[in-house]
Amino acid sequence: MEIDRRDFLQIAASLGLLGAVGGTNLFAGEGAKERIKKLSFSDVVAFEPKGKATILHICDLHAHLKPLYWREPSTLISAKNLVGTPGFICGEAFQKHYGIKPGTLDAYFDTHNDFTELAKKFGKMGGIAHMKPIIDHVEKERGKENVLLLDSGDTWQGTAVALKTRGEAIVDAQNYLGVDVMVGHWEFTYGKERVHELIGKMDAEFISQNVIDNDPFSDDFEELIFPPYSIKEIGGAKIGIIGQSFPFTSTANPKKFTEGWSFALRHESLQEYVNMLRKEKKVDCIVVLSHDGFSVDQELAKKVKGVDFILSGHTHDPSPEPIIVNDTVILISGSHGKYVGRLDIDIKDKKVVDYNFKLIPVASNLIPADKAGVDLVEKWYKPYNKELNEVLGTTKGLLYKRDTFYSTFDALIGQAIEAEMKSDINFNPGYRWGTTVLPGGDILKDNVYEMTAITYPEVYTFDLKGEVIFKLMEDIADNVFNANPLLQQGGDMSRITGASYSIKISAPSGKRISDFMIGGKPIDMKKTYRVSSWGGNLQNVGENLDEKAIRPVYEVVSDYIRKKKVIDIPLESNVKILDMDCGCPTKGATCS
Amino acid sequence: MERRNFIKSMCAVTAVAAVVTPSALLAKGAPKGGNVLSYDAAVAAITGGKAVTDSSKVKLTVPEIAENGAVVPVKVNVESPMTDANYVKAIHVLGTKNGNARCADVMLTPLNGKGYFATRIKLGGTQDVVALVEMSDGSFLRAAKPVKVTIGGCG
Repeated sequence: MEIDRRDFLQIAASLGLLGAVGGTNLFAGEGAKERIKKLSFSDVVAFEPKGKATILHICDLHAHLKPLYWREPSTLISAKNLVGTPGFICGEAFQKHYGIKPGTLDAYFDTHNDFTELAKKFGKMGGIAHMKPIIDHVEKERGKENVLLLDSGDTWQGTAVALKTRGEAIVDAQNYLGVDVMVGHWEFTYGKERVHELIGKMDAEFISQNVIDNDPFSDDFEELIFPPYSIKEIGGAKIGIIGQSFPFTSTANPKKFTEGWSFALRHESLQEYVNMLRKEKKVDCIVVLSHDGFSVDQELAKKVKGVDFILSGHTHDPSPEPIIVNDTVILISGSHGKYVGRLDIDIKDKKVVDYNFKLIPVASNLIPADKAGVDLVEKWYKPYNKELNEVLGTTKGLLYKRDTFYSTFDALIGQAIEAEMKSDINFNPGYRWGTTVLPGGDILKDNVYEMTAITYPEVYTFDLKGEVIFKLMEDIADNVFNANPLLQQGGDMSRITGASYSIKISAPSGKRISDFMIGGKPIDMKKTYRVSSWGGNLQNVGENLDEKAIRPVYEVVSDYIRKKKVIDIPLESNVKILDMDCGCPTKGATCS
Repeated sequence: MERRNFIKSMCAVTAVAAVVTPSALLAKGAPKGGNVLSYDAAVAAITGGKAVTDSSKVKLTVPEIAENGAVVPVKVNVESPMTDANYVKAIHVLGTKNGNARCADVMLTPLNGKGYFATRIKLGGTQDVVALVEMSDGSFLRAAKPVKVTIGGCG
């Protein structure tokens, strides 16, 4: 029996997994490092090429210039019809669906299972200095002129260095990586003016067919804000790329940043651009570069005809295999710089005849860092190193983001706000970006920013009636669990502290939540509660806002960790799911 | 007056117009007491009880999710000739769950050239928006689409 490197690693790793539950750990000590080294750069980038054109795809970098740990969800619950389908699949169900063996590099990158053990074996993920050698390798193999690098957005926001340079450090990194075209979402939270400024500094084109002027008194009413598409020639073929920025930016983020711009899916006008590019511009292949979200794009492909590829983003799914809806191939490349997606396209007689796709894992230990990338990161971090490298405390357990209802880092943020604001109930946003800190690890100020670095970081404290709180929770639940992906907004449930509840996912809209307790007592619909929240819109419906108590969330959390020194957050969620028995169900909502 | 306030008052005018237009038709379904008119009563007032057919000739454009429930853009485009013999006589916009379901009424003549109307309406919550179209032969066509109104807030 011949064992190649990949198999060897998988076998060894699965034995290593046995070690984790009490057997012999093959990876202990120096011998372990030796075996990991056998997997090399050439294994990571191994690919069966097709045709002459290549598109490299990144999405949802969230400004992570440096490598990080990023654990995928251990709970990813959705409406019953969507459970277990790509976009709503995690853990063992994910491994089973894609044939991934436990303990492998793929299992480490794609799922939460054995995360802490595997993190020690495989090290950090992503980082621009480790992404660049992959891009260089592909450009060398295919010829630079035959390769495009497309970015599905959520690139400029998510870390301290992004916030403090108002996105500029990240644009510099995009120029270094060689991004050709991008779309956006969190980009817009720097405000309209800054968005245009940064586009001016960027080598890449910013395109969107679904953002239009919304001010009936402006001269360009209902006209496009950005060029809707771009045409590129690679591998002797004409590629038409149409941009879809996040369709729900104006409801998901404060309206003040995009006042006068209107966001929507606009699939009718998308269809018109597809037709026009085919008929008038004679393109050979149509790519939609999208920040719609993986499940929304699967619905979009049912509505719009003639699209060859949708390069999706927003929902942070790693999808090792493409989804095919009608004749459209949909791809998404994870988040946080963990992967570079490679798509090779074979075009003959003005038609796509074949393709191949792979998510290339940016395993920082296996990819030697590019010097220019290291220098670039160093340059932008230098003014802030002192602040960002401060060790605020340590954590006993794993601190992670993601999961549908509860995560330990969110619970820590909730605890910090509760301790300072003394409110009855706290709301934390269900963003899907953040970071992971391993058990026993130091919590740096930089890590706190990685969870909270937004342009509207204020923690608000105000009054809400019980019935309003309840209605809000139902409203948020419907944005997450609606059976129609077009009515979801792609985030997870808002996290709450000081309260608990049960939820029936499959119940009709407005009737999902029960047993809602605040401070250990059933919610009183007529009572007025003191509420703290950040990163959302709740304060707009509240009363008696405490202006003096308003502080940035990253300062509130940092103070709390400094005071506590050792952080110990329970793994147990304060939300009970009534109609699912596990966090990662398979199709049909069953748990194995 | 700031632009925004001006827009708001324009919307208010639209709403008023919606109630004052064809007074003869309104008599039966006119609001009693407060500004309340159910969807069924509004449709009955417009059609006088005539049958309404769902039609793909009525193109209704609304957002899947409203950016702002107070000003939801609605476009109605009716595929129809606009000749003396055959034209779009009226376009009505309704919100099925609004307190007063009747949002806008527009009367057209062949001189309008096109069976087209765009406006912004206020929606009190998630509901269907309905375009009810009266043709010159007295028949009624209809198209409906759901619009979600939410406080939003994730990402």
